[in-house]
Amino acid sequence: MNNSVILKTEHLSKSFFKYQVLTDVNYELKKGEIAAIIGPNGAGKTTFFNLITGYHTVSGGHVFFRGQEITNWQRHKIARIGITRAFQISNIYPKLTTYENVRQSILAQQKRTLNLLTPAEKMAKQETLELLEVTGLANLKDTEAGILSQGDKKKLELALALACKPALLLLDEPTAGMSSEETHETMELVKRLNKEVGLTILFTEHDISVIFGYAEKLSVLHQGILVAEGTPEEVRQNKEAQACYLGEEI
Amino acid sequence: MEFTFFFSQFMSGLTYGMMLFLVASGFSLIFGVMNILNFAHATLWLIGAYLCFTFWSLMQSYDIALWLSIPLAAVTTGAIGWICEVVLIKRLYKRELHEQLLITYAMALIFGDLIKITWGPTDKLIVRPPIIQKPVHLFGAPIDSYFIFVIFIGFAVAVGLWWFLKFTKYGHIVKAAVFSREMVNALGIPIPRIYTWVFTLGIFIAGLAGGIQSAIGSITLGMDMSTIIQAFCVVVIGGFGSLTGTLVGSLIVGEVFSFAILYWPDGAMVLIFAITAAILVIRPWGLFGTPLRA
Amino acid sequence: MERKKSFIKRYWLPLVLFIIALLLPALIPSFWVHVFTEILILGLFAIAFNLIFGYMGQLSFGQAAYYGIGAYTTGLLMVKANWPLIATLPVSMITAGIGALILGFFCVRLRGVYFSILTIAFGQLVFFIIFQWYSFTGGDNGLQGINPPDWLFSAVPYYYFTLIVVTIASIIIYFITESPFGYTMRAIRDNTERTEFIGINVQRYMLINFIISGMFCGLAGALWGPFNRSVAPDLCGWQHSGTPVFMAVMGGPHHFLGPMIGSVIFTFLNAFVTGFTEYWPLVSGIVIIFVVMLMPGGVFGVIKEKGYFKAKEPVSNGTNPVDKGRD
Repeated sequence: MNNSVILKTEHLSKSFFKYQVLTDVNYELKKGEIAAIIGPNGAGKTTFFNLITGYHTVSGGHVFFRGQEITNWQRHKIARIGITRAFQISNIYPKLTTYENVRQSILAQQKRTLNLLTPAEKMAKQETLELLEVTGLANLKDTEAGILSQGDKKKLELALALACKPALLLLDEPTAGMSSEETHETMELVKRLNKEVGLTILFTEHDISVIFGYAEKLSVLHQGILVAEGTPEEVRQNKEAQACYLGEEI
Repeated sequence: MEFTFFFSQFMSGLTYGMMLFLVASGFSLIFGVMNILNFAHATLWLIGAYLCFTFWSLMQSYDIALWLSIPLAAVTTGAIGWICEVVLIKRLYKRELHEQLLITYAMALIFGDLIKITWGPTDKLIVRPPIIQKPVHLFGAPIDSYFIFVIFIGFAVAVGLWWFLKFTKYGHIVKAAVFSREMVNALGIPIPRIYTWVFTLGIFIAGLAGGIQSAIGSITLGMDMSTIIQAFCVVVIGGFGSLTGTLVGSLIVGEVFSFAILYWPDGAMVLIFAITAAILVIRPWGLFGTPLRA
Repeated sequence: MERKKSFIKRYWLPLVLFIIALLLPALIPSFWVHVFTEILILGLFAIAFNLIFGYMGQLSFGQAAYYGIGAYTTGLLMVKANWPLIATLPVSMITAGIGALILGFFCVRLRGVYFSILTIAFGQLVFFIIFQWYSFTGGDNGLQGINPPDWLFSAVPYYYFTLIVVTIASIIIYFITESPFGYTMRAIRDNTERTEFIGINVQRYMLINFIISGMFCGLAGALWGPFNRSVAPDLCGWQHSGTPVFMAVMGGPHHFLGPMIGSVIFTFLNAFVTGFTEYWPLVSGIVIIFVVMLMPGGVFGVIKEKGYFKAKEPVSNGTNPVDKGRD
């Protein structure tokens, strides 16, 4: 297997009881790419993420990360090996402050969470503040995360994922619930991470301007089947993709 | 082991299992539908047993006393359950787990002491009517004739519950309430009323079981706690919210008890826990339950 | 700004409580010194329990098992092997910790109400073993003659001994709750699922916390035997498992000292009520119903009503919606 391929799925399938949600998906993502998966609601985008990250058990097929099979690994092991995700519906620690949220994720990444006797407030100060700064949450650091606005929760969601220092970052509709200004800021940050740190990014999105503005590669899912793949321009021209999703919108 | 001995041991295990099923089925039904863990379930069962004793002692000169006392005890216990639901449980639907558990724990404490105050600390024993004093012989083995009655009632309740849930309109509503409150609400049936009757039904079955228990052996303070723990084990083994699971779990526990007591009397309970733990490792959702996660 | 507060400003409440506790024996008759010793022991029990409940968000209804294991370890070592009291304390923590390791291994596989059911069941298992192992534990007779050494024999010295042990244990537990591990517990409480996705083996962490809690429950139990001069199987029974739950709920599970405050109220009430009736369970049951119905969040919750507890979210995270965001 080619070393530059970071993520690969073979015949990946998922069914819930008798409903086939994802069928035979063969997908490849190269290291350093920034790619998007698009498709209408219910196409199986989130399920695809759920299978890669171990959220759901895989019904059929295989997932490889850097050539190593990770099908049906435990969630924390997949996270440890370098795949992190940010959720569509923000999935944060509502009773902890924004600062504590981020610090938790950083300490987990640094494997310092088994430390029983050093006060946590003395640890990872620098890193936490930096990450809060980068994600634009610095002025909200002492706010309880549960009462943040939707947009800020999504930023925090991204911060939690970034704190894990992943090799592959999966973003499920990273800008849902954000204002257009916030959307732009967030996607610029994602792009910068991709360009400067070389982070591989795979995201799903509904916002057409985000999809065509940032993705280098597009894959179209329709009813659980991968129907088209290519550069944004190729997909734009693709009849099948137009038929099932893009048609009227472009 | 001789067959007749084996068979009589098997029958006593079956009886024990059926008694346990009567307690655990109501417990499991209440938990499945209302998502409330009723710590006081077996305490109400014990109240049923004491009530049956009281009714029986009022009428003991008649042969029919026991057969009247058992349904009377069941109805009275059901009424107590109804009162508990309306006064206390109703206020708990939207509360957190620990609050629900503390309230039913408090109910167990209160009813436990009320039993002590009302009936005193001495054991109670019902003198059986002549019809069930002599054993019957099945396959050459002497079987306590009352056991036949207990097993019959146990199966009758199992079949009755199954029929109720599967074929009646109200059974469908109850089953639907497990999955979707909105759907049931949309049908124009108020959820709280369903909860009240489910709770009452569960306690009624517990009272029935208590009444039946009172003629098996003497009634003792504190019996409720070993029973509730066994009911817990039954639902873990059988699977949460599954009627079949509760029946199978009860029979497993009953038979294991019945046979383990021959070889290692003190270890019977430990064995039950070992089985429970083993099931948890292999199938955390129990033998007949549905996995919590897809 | 919060973090710049001086030591005294930050820790005034425990400091005041500690000073009061130091002065108490000089001010009150010896019966009440006994009551306060009991408050400290049960308070430690409740604080240790609260590691699982308030911090990890799971409700264990079987912590009396580890309390009982600790009590019996000390009792057996002192009565049958003539060990000195102080040497038995760490051993009690270890045996209770081993018990928590074995039973917790199964419990941490479940969440929410299923976790509670299993802890109740395993608590009773320990009760049955102690109750039926007549030759070793004395069965329902319990163990008698667990006498502390001469220098601790009367009420006041034993009170001070308990105060020291409980204070040290509480400080250690407090450090644990403020450590990265403690925050990981809060994270598991707030959002178990997310915690898995930041690469934490949630089951393992829950088990470690379960063991720590069990060890300190065992330490509390170890202090109880010599205080009461005897131990009985009731110490591990279901009724006793409810005690720390109620204390934590009454005092407020989201404040470190909440369970200790709960212990003060509960134990005082117990001492008062058992003075004139044997029906303590009845009275405590009624009190529990009133407290749960009328003051959810406990004493600290009532104090902070307008702040932290206003946003009411379940403590337990057991019934996570499974398919959050499935397309």
